[in-house]
Amino acid sequence: MPQFNINVIIENKPTIRDPEGEVIMRDLMVKNGYTQIKGVRTAKLLKIVVEASSSQEAKQIVSKMCDELRIYNPVVSICSIEETGA
Amino acid sequence: MEREKKLRLNLTEEEVESLRKALGREPNDLELAMIDAEWSEHCSYKSSKPLLKLLPTQGKHVILGPGYDAGVLDIGDGYVLTAHIESHNHPSAIDPYGGAATGVGGILRDIICMGTRPIALLDVLRFGSISVSSHSRWLFKHVVRGISDYGNCVGVPTVGGEVEFDETFERNCLVDVVCFGVGKKSDLVLAEARHVGDSIILIGGLTGRDGLHGSSFASAVLTESSEQDRSAVQIPDPFAEKMIMEATLESIGTGRVRGLKDLGGGGLSCGLSEIADKGGTGVEIELTRVPLSEEDMHPIEIMISESQERMLLVVEGGYEEEVAKIFRKYGVRYSIIGKVTDDKHVTVKKAGTVLTKIRAELLANAPIIYRRAEKPKNIESLANTPRPDEPHDLEKTLLQLLSLPNIASKQWIYEQYDHEVGLKTVIKPGQAGAAVLRLPNNKFIAVRADGNSKHCYLDPYHGAAGVFAEACRNVLAVGAKPIAMLDHLQFGDPSNPEVFWAFSESVKGIADYAKNLNIPCIGGKVSFYNEDKVSGKAIKPTPVVAVIGLADAVETLKSNRLRVGSRILILGETKPELGGSEYYEGIHGLVGGKVPKVDFEYEKRLHRCVLKIVSLGLAKSLEDLSKGGLATALAELSIKSGVGMKIDLNKVPNTCERLDEILFSETHGRFVAEANVGAEDRIKRIAASFNIPCEIIGEVEGEYLSFEKGVKKIKVQLRELEDTWRCTIPKLMGDEC
Repeated sequence: MPQFNINVIIENKPTIRDPEGEVIMRDLMVKNGYTQIKGVRTAKLLKIVVEASSSQEAKQIVSKMCDELRIYNPVVSICSIEETGA
Repeated sequence: MEREKKLRLNLTEEEVESLRKALGREPNDLELAMIDAEWSEHCSYKSSKPLLKLLPTQGKHVILGPGYDAGVLDIGDGYVLTAHIESHNHPSAIDPYGGAATGVGGILRDIICMGTRPIALLDVLRFGSISVSSHSRWLFKHVVRGISDYGNCVGVPTVGGEVEFDETFERNCLVDVVCFGVGKKSDLVLAEARHVGDSIILIGGLTGRDGLHGSSFASAVLTESSEQDRSAVQIPDPFAEKMIMEATLESIGTGRVRGLKDLGGGGLSCGLSEIADKGGTGVEIELTRVPLSEEDMHPIEIMISESQERMLLVVEGGYEEEVAKIFRKYGVRYSIIGKVTDDKHVTVKKAGTVLTKIRAELLANAPIIYRRAEKPKNIESLANTPRPDEPHDLEKTLLQLLSLPNIASKQWIYEQYDHEVGLKTVIKPGQAGAAVLRLPNNKFIAVRADGNSKHCYLDPYHGAAGVFAEACRNVLAVGAKPIAMLDHLQFGDPSNPEVFWAFSESVKGIADYAKNLNIPCIGGKVSFYNEDKVSGKAIKPTPVVAVIGLADAVETLKSNRLRVGSRILILGETKPELGGSEYYEGIHGLVGGKVPKVDFEYEKRLHRCVLKIVSLGLAKSLEDLSKGGLATALAELSIKSGVGMKIDLNKVPNTCERLDEILFSETHGRFVAEANVGAEDRIKRIAASFNIPCEIIGEVEGEYLSFEKGVKKIKVQLRELEDTWRCTIPKLMGDEC
C-alpha cells in the first residue's frame, strides 16, 4: 500500500491569544530592530507518514485520529490537515 | 427580554426591575451588561451571603477576614500571611489545560495584590471515575499539567493537595486552588480607592475578547453547547504573570501604591466598582486608554472582558511616573485609565462622551436572593440502608481498597509539580498529611485542604464539619496549631431547594466547628451551578476546607518512617460509621449508611491532647485516620516505611460488631501514633488526662501487615500492598509502574 505524507498543523483559533507568538515578536524581533514585523503566531506541526490506499483516505485517517485521541482541543485550537510531497 | 437575549444576559426579570427602580430610568445596554457580570452568583454571592454570615471571622491572628482578595493573618515579628481559595471549574471543564492554569494565575494575583509574595499552592481536584471514563482521564491529565506548568513557570511551589473521583463529577470537574503568601505588615495594600485625585492604572495584558462573559458563564449550568462557548476560553501566560508579580511587588516599595485589585470575574466593571465601593469614593475611566488586543471592541466587551494577567493600581496623584518606571523596567504594559473621584459613581467615558454613570454601591451589591431549602426525601432512607455482608476474604478487600483511585498513592500527581522551588518547603507532599513551610521569622506554617463528597452527599452537616476536622487533624499531626481556615463551597443549582438545603447544612457544619474550636474563617468562595443540564445531575456537595496551622518548630515530626520494634498506638474510639465510606462505595457499590459524626467537645480535647504529645516529642510519627479507615492508614504507613506491622484488633477501642467495621470505619477524631522508645505510657497518660481513648495496638516488624482478632487473622505481604497502592493511578493513566 502506498504511503502519504500528511502535515497536521495545530494552532490557537484566530480569536484566541498566543502568548508564545507575542513574546517571539516582541522580544526576539521588534526589540532587535525588525519593527516591520506586525504579527507572529506559533503553531505545532506534526509530520505524519500514513499508509493508505489514497491521499483522501490518508487524510481521513489522520483527521479521525486527531479528533478521537484528542490530539488537539477543539475548544481552543484549530487543526488543519494537508498532504505534502515527500 | 429580546435585548437581554441579544446581550446573552443571565439577569432575571426581577433583577432588571430592581435595577430600573434604583436608577429611576431604563438602564442602557452597557449598564445591563455590567450589572449582569457583577450580579452573577460568581461575583455577588447573592444566594449565599445570608448564610455565610454564620462563619466566625474574628480571631487572635486575623487582620483581615473574608470580603477581600485574600485573608490576612498576623504571624508575628512584623510579618503577615495571606491566604485565599478559588476555583476554575467551568473553564477547566471545557479546556482543562488552560482552565486549570489560568485558575492558578488568578489566585496568585489575589495574593500579589495584597502586597504579598506567593509562597505555596495547594490544589484540590474532583473528576469523574478515571477507571471507566476516558473523558475524565483526559480532564485529569491536562488539569494536572496545567497547574504544574503554570506554577512551575512562575516559580511558586505546589506543596500538596487532595483529589477525589466520583461519577457525579463526570461533566463537572472541580479545580480548586489555594494560595498562601508572605509579606511585611507595613506593605499590605487593600483593594480600595480611598483618596480622591489618585490615578487608576491598568497594568498587564491586553484587554481582549478572550474570557468574555466568563463570570456569567461560570454562573450558568453547563450544556452540550458549552463546548462551543469559545470566547470564554482564557489563555494562560505565566511569564507575563511572573513579570507582573515582580513589578507589582517592587512598585509597592515606592509607598505610592495605595490600592491594588486583581481583575478576575466581571473584569474592569467589577474591579472598578469594588475599589470605589470599598473606599467610599467614585471612579472615572476613559475607555480609549484601555490597551486592547482587537481594535473594534465594543465598550461592553471592554468593561466585562476577563482577559488574564491584568491588575488595577491606585497610585497617589503626582507620583505616577515613579511607579511607571518600575513597570517599564519589567516590560509590563501600563496605562493610566482614569482617576478616583468623590461622587461615589463609576463613570465610563469613551473619547470624552459619558457612556454610563452608575452608583458604585449599586453595581457592587446585588440584591440578595433568599433561597428555599428542603431536605431531600431520600436522606433518611439512605442513612438507614442496611449494611452489606462482611466479605469472607478481607485480605482481598484490603488490596481492593488500596487500589481505589481515591485511596491509591497520588504520587503521579505531585511528582509533576515542583514542590520545592523557593526553598521554603520543609515537609513535602507524600511525607505527611500537611505541607510545612518555613516563614521569614523562623516560624512554620502547616497547610492542608480536605474534602469528602461522599460523606457530604449523605449528611452535609457532619460531612462538612468532618472535612474541617480532617484538615485540622492533618495540621495537628505535624505539630501545628490550627489558627485559621478557608472554605470553598461547591454545589449544584441553588434554586433547587434540595441543593440549597445541602449548602445550608454544610455552612452550618463548618460554622459550628469553627466556633467550637475557635478557628476563624478568613476567606472563601462559593461555586454554584456545578451540574449537567443534559442529565439534570448535580455534583455531590463538595465543601472544601483548607486549614492553616502555626508552629514554632517542626523538628519533632519530620519523618514518618517507621522503625522496627516501635509500638503503634491508636487515639480515639472506632465506631461503626461507614456511611459514605470508601469501603461501602468502592467495594460494595453501596451509597448510604450512617456518616461519621463530629463531636465538638471531644474535638476540643483532642486538639489539645495531640499538640501536647507532639510538643513533648513523644511520638515519632502521627497519622490521621480518614478515607479507608484504620487498615488503610496503617497500610500506607507500612508501605512508605518499607516495614510491616503486627496489629491486635482486640486492643482497638471500639463499639463495632464486625471486623470489617473496625478495619474500614471512617470515624473522626482518630490518629495512629508510633511512639518514641519508652514513651508509650506517657502518651497513654496524656490521652487519659484529656479523656481520649488510647491503646497500644501493635508493633512494627517484618514484611507483612497483619491484623489479628482472636482466631481471625488478616495477613498481607508488604510488597503486594505496595504494588497495588503505588501503581493504580499511573497504570490508569497509561504510564509504566
